[in-house]
Amino acid sequence: MKLDILNALDSDSLLKELKSSSSKSVAASALAKLKVPNKKTEKYRYFDIAPLVTKDWQVADIAEAEPKSEGKKIVIQDGALVNSGDIEGLSVELVEFNDIDSEHFDGLYFLSHLMAKKAIVIRCSKDSSFEIEHNFSKEESLINYRVVILVDANTHVQAYESFSGDAKESFILSGYDIFVSRDASLKFIKSHTLKQTQYTPIFTSRYKVDSSATMKLSSFDFAFANGLNIIRVELKESANIDASHLLFVSNSAKYGIVSEIVHEGKSSISSQKAKSILDGGARGIFDALIRVQHSAKWTKAHQNSKAILLESGAYMASKPQLEIYIDDLEASHGSTTGQLDEQQLFYLRSRGIKESDARKMLILAFAHEIVATVDDEYLANKIYAEFERAYYGNYELDCIKTCDGCEELVLKDEQ
Amino acid sequence: MSKVLEIKDLKAKIGDKNILKGLNLALEEGKVHAIMGPNGAGKSTLSKAIVGHYDVEVTDGEIIYNGKNIVEEEPEERALDGIFLSFQNPVEVPGVNNAYFLRTAVNERRKKLGKAELNAAEFLREMKALVSELGMKPELINRSLNEGFSGGEKKRNEILQMMMLEPNVVILDEIDSGLDIDALRAVSEGINKMKDGKRSFLVITHYSRILDYIKPDHIHVLKDGQIVHTGGPELVEQLEEEGYSSFEEK
Repeated sequence: MKLDILNALDSDSLLKELKSSSSKSVAASALAKLKVPNKKTEKYRYFDIAPLVTKDWQVADIAEAEPKSEGKKIVIQDGALVNSGDIEGLSVELVEFNDIDSEHFDGLYFLSHLMAKKAIVIRCSKDSSFEIEHNFSKEESLINYRVVILVDANTHVQAYESFSGDAKESFILSGYDIFVSRDASLKFIKSHTLKQTQYTPIFTSRYKVDSSATMKLSSFDFAFANGLNIIRVELKESANIDASHLLFVSNSAKYGIVSEIVHEGKSSISSQKAKSILDGGARGIFDALIRVQHSAKWTKAHQNSKAILLESGAYMASKPQLEIYIDDLEASHGSTTGQLDEQQLFYLRSRGIKESDARKMLILAFAHEIVATVDDEYLANKIYAEFERAYYGNYELDCIKTCDGCEELVLKDEQ
Repeated sequence: MSKVLEIKDLKAKIGDKNILKGLNLALEEGKVHAIMGPNGAGKSTLSKAIVGHYDVEVTDGEIIYNGKNIVEEEPEERALDGIFLSFQNPVEVPGVNNAYFLRTAVNERRKKLGKAELNAAEFLREMKALVSELGMKPELINRSLNEGFSGGEKKRNEILQMMMLEPNVVILDEIDSGLDIDALRAVSEGINKMKDGKRSFLVITHYSRILDYIKPDHIHVLKDGQIVHTGGPELVEQLEEEGYSSFEEK
């Protein structure tokens, strides 16, 4: 299946071609209007989309076998739910899902919904913490699936997303529809190391944060191959999103984030911070818009992107944008791209630390601010280790940086 | 008395500006040398040249340390060989844990000296003792390096590093600037404790105040990139009374 041929079809023909239910007519109309992206599509202009939409893909069948219910981890294998976990307060099931975001800016978001007959729906009705593992093994395939997270009102949830597997030459088209209900909170932590030989992922998502609800997103992408995260966020009255992204891109990979945060309700708050470390001939992407609508008085919206280029061939496509339709708000945005701080580097070297080690220290320090947004110490350490593995190879994390264990040892010694 | 560090006819520039114009200086083993001079004389440039700062380009002359010219050596090589500069304005390094940084530095130095590396517990025990001795807040141990430190805390942190790294030559660039009297006393006590008859000190200062606490053996007056006069401690009084204008440039 070639995706770009869909651009010749109207909405009815799209439903027919993609064998979608008529209940997805909203998605079909939106896709007919937005089209499958090509290299001229504004939101994809920094990314290499053409090879993905012009290739004749073998579309992977998504199995619907009864999943296991073991442990604290939800496991999705090549788009199929294989373990729904045994987690108190959570229900996980495969259902037809049609509550899509009709205002989404991304054609692939609608295509993904049209292609997915059912979605994996995770409903959180009690405070809980769980992991979602995505495993990919099918090679040279288009693997499409959707995941929905519903956080009920007054419920507080932490979800950690991890990735494994090595589906060479595949295209992963997926993403989340997340609904954080009134007075609920969701901490969503994503950690993804994408090796050079692996698949190309495009995760196209929608987050709806209801009145007085909070979502904290911490994403860690360590990429040696192309990939894109596309996010649209809706904020209702007094809703809050705190999004932090750490991006390390190497080789000649193009990887990044395209996002749109829409303040719909008054007194809503958004804070988006991206830090990118770009090596080799990599291209980092941070194309992020915050839109404050007429209805969103007394909003606070802050956005910042900082990038470090480690090699002269690296490039950061940073485009933070504010689109504001009211006067009564607090807003800022900024973007900096540069090299490692020469003064800091010299200071460390002047104490006898080798230049290569000093550079490592400063790179870790740059990343630290984003890793520190993860207040779960176990996960933070795991992410540090993943980052170090991605960047430095098998480099042992020194415990002195992150724990007080040695302090305790000293105290015991002194007693 | 043997010379530990000898600077011969050193010429150096920052950008296009010639700052050091044939400077000669010899540090004796175990002695405290003070360099005094007006603003813009080249005091900080001299300290930067000795430690290999990227701002300074040495265009001529030699810096002989341990019998070899170190002008082409990397900053970390000079540090590992025992040259330590206490910076006038220590840079803040957010995200680099103070203890982690210092343990890395200390163990690099110990490796160079053929000593066993300190494990985390051994290191922290030593660091905590010195932090207490210097009157530093214990929480500074696990804070980011110099980030959000007051001026006094930064200077004490420099002295802490000096004490743990046990260098052979210590250069103190305006160590007294920004210090209140208590901090000045604590810092000076730390420095004086490091005097062991072998370690040499180069105290760079505008004002004589620090020299009330760290007694110099030799005073050098630096003007327009050259040492124009060298004398004993009595020179401090003369400088206080007459200022730098009484010392003619060569």
